Amino acid sequence: MAFIQIQNLYKKFGHIVAVNRVSLDIEKGEIVTLLGPSGCGKTTTLRCIAGLEKPDEGDVIIDGKPMFSQGFVPPSQRGIGMVFQNYAVWPHLRVFDNVAYGLKIQKVPRQEIKQRVAEVLESVGLAGLERRYPGQLSGGQQQRVALARALVRNPKVLLLDEPLSNLDAKLRERMRFEIKSLVKRMNMTSVYVTHDQAEAMVISDRIAIMEAGNLVQVGTPEEIYKKPANRFVADFIGTTNFIPGEVSQIDRDRKVVSLRAEFGKILCRVFDSAMVSQNQKVHASIRPEEIEVFVSPPKDKENLFKGTIMHRAYLGNFLYLFVNVDHTLIRIQAPYDIKQKEGEELFLFLNPEKCIVLP
Amino acid sequence: MSRGNLFISIILWAVLLLFVIYPLSFLIIESLKIAGTNQYGLQNYIDFFKDPYYLKTFWNTLLLGILVLITTTLFGLPLAYILARYRLKGKLIFTALILLPIVLPAYAGAFALIVLFGKMGTVNLLLMDWNVISKPINFVFGLHGLVFIQALHLLPFIVLSLSAGFTDIDPSLEEAAEVEGAGGFRRFLTVTLPLCSPNYLAGAVIVFLWPFTDWLTPLIFGVQDILPSTAYINIAYHFTDMHRKYMGIVSVVISSLICVGIFLASKSWVERKKYTALSKGTTLEGRIVEPHPWIKLISYFYMFLIGVLVLLIPVVLGLSAFSRRWVLQPFPTYWTLDNFKLIFLETPLLLKNSFLFSLIALIFGVVFGLPAAYLITRTKVPGKDTLDFIITLMLAFPGIAVGVSYLLAFWEGIPLATHWIIMPLSLFVRRLPYFLRMAHASYLQLDVSLEEASEVSGAGKLRTFFNISLPLLLKGIFVGLVMFFIMAFQEISTAIFLYRGGWETLPIGIYLNWHRGMEFGIAGAMAFLMIVIIFILLLIVARIGGGILGAAWGSSGGRY
Repeated sequence: MAFIQIQNLYKKFGHIVAVNRVSLDIEKGEIVTLLGPSGCGKTTTLRCIAGLEKPDEGDVIIDGKPMFSQGFVPPSQRGIGMVFQNYAVWPHLRVFDNVAYGLKIQKVPRQEIKQRVAEVLESVGLAGLERRYPGQLSGGQQQRVALARALVRNPKVLLLDEPLSNLDAKLRERMRFEIKSLVKRMNMTSVYVTHDQAEAMVISDRIAIMEAGNLVQVGTPEEIYKKPANRFVADFIGTTNFIPGEVSQIDRDRKVVSLRAEFGKILCRVFDSAMVSQNQKVHASIRPEEIEVFVSPPKDKENLFKGTIMHRAYLGNFLYLFVNVDHTLIRIQAPYDIKQKEGEELFLFLNPEKCIVLP
Repeated sequence: MSRGNLFISIILWAVLLLFVIYPLSFLIIESLKIAGTNQYGLQNYIDFFKDPYYLKTFWNTLLLGILVLITTTLFGLPLAYILARYRLKGKLIFTALILLPIVLPAYAGAFALIVLFGKMGTVNLLLMDWNVISKPINFVFGLHGLVFIQALHLLPFIVLSLSAGFTDIDPSLEEAAEVEGAGGFRRFLTVTLPLCSPNYLAGAVIVFLWPFTDWLTPLIFGVQDILPSTAYINIAYHFTDMHRKYMGIVSVVISSLICVGIFLASKSWVERKKYTALSKGTTLEGRIVEPHPWIKLISYFYMFLIGVLVLLIPVVLGLSAFSRRWVLQPFPTYWTLDNFKLIFLETPLLLKNSFLFSLIALIFGVVFGLPAAYLITRTKVPGKDTLDFIITLMLAFPGIAVGVSYLLAFWEGIPLATHWIIMPLSLFVRRLPYFLRMAHASYLQLDVSLEEASEVSGAGKLRTFFNISLPLLLKGIFVGLVMFFIMAFQEISTAIFLYRGGWETLPIGIYLNWHRGMEFGIAGAMAFLMIVIIFILLLIVARIGGGILGAAWGSSGGRY
């Protein structure tokens, strides 16, 4: 049985459904990220796990114990650690007292508190700052205090609510790896909330993508990137080209579909051929780095189209091109040695293996 | 720095020098005079701390301050929490109601209390009628009555500042405590309350210092040995005994020093401990929760109780205003409009004076306050911080200090006290910081770039002020105007020293009618009229800029 089971969670704020029957299992020691744009319900889901929000329906089961259905378990009794978006470091307490707060409540012996606080501060790189007030720390340091405070009690579950969003870009990038290695070292089951896809890719074992209160897809970063469940996921994770078309032919055995697009026939893969039907309006999706570019047309290739370069940007290790194929603009990440200029022609090969059909 | 700014600065300094520093320095000089000689020295101060009577007065005042603070805190803390955190109906109206005592003159409340709880007041008469008691109980006369009425008057300061604190706390700070395992009460004690301490202190200082300012209420309750009351009696009634007069002035100076000292200490503490600026990205409405039905019931009951207490004052004054000879009867028996006839027909002078003086004081206030606010927030003129400091200090100065110093300075020195202009002038100086703080607060909220955009577009500074700043500041300024007017309208502690025949204001009229003893109906009618006028003004304020009022008294209340 999974360590955390989110079962059919439902929460409304006024008329707005914030979380719409979300179910998700999280294994012990796993880092799962709830990812989605703002307002998608990821933070509300997290706050339900913490008990800071009560769902209208559904339950959260932590380590076999229901948190809502058999009497509400308040946040203080759940044995969780949480890092808040704005750190929530208490300004009137010194770093030591901030971190030791929960241990004092648990009536841990004084000597042990000292030792454990020192250890955790050491591991987050704040050794020696015990006597400081939060007002005397930088944003990054406050963030570490919040992390130390959440970790010091060895909580069953660690919840992180956009913990890096207030840091500057450089620090944010470093902290991703730091948090991941720290949490993995302590083998802590963690739920991480963010709207930053790169952050989610780095930190998570699995990513759960949410949109407008619904859980859209759960999977490893690679699965999500390579096999997006729908257009929303494909668009949200990385960048992609959508080419609208109609299904003209379905080869159910080889899982290949032909589309009638504006500029011709496109062959695509489909992960689940039951998903598509004849004449259905769908989109073909292909990532900019997966389109191959030719100056002169190669022989015997399907899915080959001629286009005109509209914009060309040099980005050092590659070129970024916008190519007009019969009034459809296609983004391409091309090798930097392509010499063609804006207004000149190119041939694009949309590899049928990499081109996928999305409803 | 432009020449115009320097010019404004010089004029403002001149006004401060002439009307604040010059008279207040007189106070100190006078307190150093030794009676019967031409010498100066610290003898009066030494006498003050040697004389058991003055020492007792001194300690009494401190005790009163502490008692009033404890009472307001005990009653105000739950109320502030209820208002800030629970989802309840009628909270808005109740909040307006609870504001009432701030703007009502404290002495008006004292009269009402005597009518109701006095030795021959309603409660005692009823209890005797029902044979519960045979002799009247002393409910109000003495220290306990004084504590009660002052606490009622000052309760809003504690409630407003604390509830602003409870509202402003970043919710995640409390949620973090919850997650860390701290249940309700522990979380309140270890996180919520400490974080509110700057807000609390801001209100607490006003409360604690009030007994050092209010000389009239103690006298009404028959308590004389309170510092400002002693000072008043010594100065107003013993002008022939020079030593007693000087001792009175010493009392005023000592009260002022205590007020200013505590005010400054708390101000610096609050500024050092300002927590709110630290947290980022706070949520919308704080933490308003749906309380448990029992808690809800208790909250409503508590609000009702306080509401009744607050409303007692206008109701009792209203009853006595519309009745004749309400004495030795639990309730009025004879209803009449005679009291009002008397005011409107025979003494419209009082009303006219009150409006005229307050209005002129208001004009002084605007003419001084607006440029001062501009100078302090928008320029780098040297000395502007000192200017701000002195003006803010006037918040702490007891009214009696302004009154006495004006009497001394403009009677013997510059003979301004023979002209009625001294009345609005003293009102203006007494309430100097009120308008300024309000304008200041609005200025701080006004984004500089809006003004800069105007200047870049080619408008001069003056044109920018009239075309851009003034319209945007208008709401804040208007609330400042009305609040200033209300405070000037009910002012008595300064005016009582300066008025001469023909210059009486409504508050002075109330005092005189009470003083003469038999004219309680008229005093009641005047007080009632005053409450009505003030309440109408207050409604206008609440309607136009409730938020601003809250901002000025509450959340930015850390700056008083």
